[in-house]
Amino acid sequence: MSHGHEEEDVTHGPKILAVSTTHPRVRTIQVVRPEAEDTTFLAATAKGLGVTLKHFARNLFLPMKKLAVRNAPGAPVDETWRNEIETVQYPEEKVVYPERFRGLHRLMMRDDGNVRCVACMCCPTACPAHCITIIPAETDDKGIEKKPAVFEIDELRCVVCGLCVEACPCDAIRMDTGMHAKPVEDRADAIETRESMLGRGIRSIAKQGGVGPDWREAGAPKDPNDVNR
Amino acid sequence: MSTLYAILDWPGTKWLFIVLALVMPLASLLTWAERRQSAMMQDRLGPNRANIGPIKLKGILHFVADALKMIFKEDFVPANVHKGLYALAPILALAPVLIAFCIIPFGPTIYPHALAHPIDPLLLAADPGNDVFKDSIRLQMFQIDFGLIFYFAVLTLANYGGTIAGWASYNKWALLGGLRSSSQMMSYEVAMGLSLMGAFLVTGTLEPGAIAMFGASDSMSGSNPLNWLWLWQPVGLVLFFTAAIAETKRAPFDIPEGEPEIIGYFVEYSGMRWGIFFLAEFIEIVFISAVIATVFFGGWQVPFLDIDGFRFGGYIDPSHVSTSGYSLLLPHWAVASLQFAAFGLKVILLCWFQLLVRWTLPRFRADQLMHLGWKLLLPLALANIMVTALIKLIFMGN
Repeated sequence: MSHGHEEEDVTHGPKILAVSTTHPRVRTIQVVRPEAEDTTFLAATAKGLGVTLKHFARNLFLPMKKLAVRNAPGAPVDETWRNEIETVQYPEEKVVYPERFRGLHRLMMRDDGNVRCVACMCCPTACPAHCITIIPAETDDKGIEKKPAVFEIDELRCVVCGLCVEACPCDAIRMDTGMHAKPVEDRADAIETRESMLGRGIRSIAKQGGVGPDWREAGAPKDPNDVNR
Repeated sequence: MSTLYAILDWPGTKWLFIVLALVMPLASLLTWAERRQSAMMQDRLGPNRANIGPIKLKGILHFVADALKMIFKEDFVPANVHKGLYALAPILALAPVLIAFCIIPFGPTIYPHALAHPIDPLLLAADPGNDVFKDSIRLQMFQIDFGLIFYFAVLTLANYGGTIAGWASYNKWALLGGLRSSSQMMSYEVAMGLSLMGAFLVTGTLEPGAIAMFGASDSMSGSNPLNWLWLWQPVGLVLFFTAAIAETKRAPFDIPEGEPEIIGYFVEYSGMRWGIFFLAEFIEIVFISAVIATVFFGGWQVPFLDIDGFRFGGYIDPSHVSTSGYSLLLPHWAVASLQFAAFGLKVILLCWFQLLVRWTLPRFRADQLMHLGWKLLLPLALANIMVTALIKLIFMGN
C-alpha cells in the first residue's frame, strides 16, 4: 500500500493503521468521522430540495408525454418541453404488450367459417391445469371426422403457459389476442365457450393436417408476411 | 346594525370563521395536496380520479371520499386500553391546535362604515373615534401582549395527545411512539422559543398583530417587504422553520411515527379517531405556516399596499402621517380583501414548502435528531439572540 494514497484519503472511509503480515485482510483501522460541514446536511438538504423542486415544477407546468412514447421506452422521439410523468392511466390508456404476449385464447376458423379444431384432445392432454374441456362430435365431412361440440376453457384455472397452442397440430387454438382475462363477478362467467373464443378467431389458411413429408420441396411461402405460413 | 357588528367582532364568530373558512378547508385539501404533490415530485400522477359524476377537479374530492370512509369505518377499541384516556387523546391532540389560532391576525382591521371609500390615514391618526371608524372589526381573535408565549404554551399541550394515546393504547410500540414524541417535543421546544427571541428583540413586542405591522425603519411603511422580519432575522427564520417542522412530527423528524419501525402512538387507532390525529397534524402545518407568515413575512400585508392603497416611493410612518410618493388609492373593501387574500396565499405557499421538505428529506436517526436539536439549533439560536441584542444595542441605542 502506498503512503501517498493513504494520506489523500484520510477524510473519507476508515484510516488503515496496520495490516497483518500473515493475513493481509486483517487490518487495524480507525474510523474517520465526517467533519462538521457534512453533519449539518445543509448543502445536501438544499441540493435535494432543488432536485425535487425541479421535478415538481416540470411535472406541474409541462404537458404530459405522448402515450406512444411512454409505451415504448427508448423510442427516438423529441421530448423537449414534456414532463417526466410515466403513469399510464389504465382503463383509458393501455400499454402495448410484446408480440409474444400470451393473452386470452381464441379458436381459428376454416375458410368456410367453421371451427378449425378437430377435437383431437391434444390440448386438454397437454394442459397442466386441466382447464380445457372438449366434448367431440361427428362431422359430415369424412376427411375431418370430428369437431368439438363443446370447447370450454376455465380462465380461472388457466396458467397461461401456452402448452395448448404448442400441442395443437392444426393451428386451431391461439393465445395471440393481447387481451387479459376479464374481471368477473361470477365464476361461471370466467369460462370461455366455443362461441366466445370463435368470435375472436380469424380464418387460418394453414393446410389442414400439414403439407406432408415433401414440405421442403414446396419451397418458401409466397407471402413472407403471411401470419399463417 | 351595531349589534351585528358587535356579533361579528365577537371572538367566537371570528373563530368559527377562521376555522370553517380557512383552517378546515386548507387542512382537508392538504391531505389531497400532499399525495398529489409527492406524486408529482416522484414523476407520478397521484390521486386524480375521485369524482361526483362528471365533476373531477383533478381529484380534489379525494378528501371527501377519505372523510366518508373514515366516518363509516368501525369504531374499534382494542381490549385492555384505558377507555377514558383512549377516547380523550385524539381530542387532546386536536383542541390545542385549534385554540392556538386565536392569536393569529388573519386580516386587517375592517371599518364597516368606510368600506366604499379609501381610508384617510391622516384622519385615522388624528381622530380614531370618528363616526367613520366606529364598529371596527379586528380580524384577530385575541390581541394579547403575550401572544407568542400563549402559542408556545398551548401548542405544547397538543403533545399530551400523542403521549396519552401511546400510554392508553396498551401497546409497546404505541408507548415507544408516545415517548419519542415527548422527547422530541422537549428537545425542540427550547430551540423553537429561543429562535423567536430574536424577533422579540427586533420588534419589542410579543403580539403577533404588532409584529406583522412592524416597521424596522421609519422611512418605509410596514408593507414594504424589506421591513418584514425575514430580512432582519434570517437565522431565526431558518431555525424556527426547522424546529417547527420537528414540532409537527413530520419527516424528516417523524421518528415518533416512524412507520417502518413502530408505526407510532396512533397504531391502535382506526377510523375517525385516527382521522382526528391525522387532521390535527395537518392543522398544525397550517398553523405553523400562519405563524411564520405572521412573524417573518408581514402577516396579511401585501407588498406596498398601505391602508389607503398602493404607495410606491413614499411611506406612512408609524403614527400614520402620510408623506409623499406615488400612490394609487383603493377603496377600503378592496384593500381589506387583497390583504386577507395575501394572508391566505402566504399560508398556502408555506404549507406547500413544508410538503416539499417532507417529501424530500429522509428521516433522521434518534441520535442525529438530538444532535441537531441540542448541539446545533440551540447554540445557533443563542448566538442569534446575542448578535441581535448586540446590533440593537450598538445601532439603535438601548
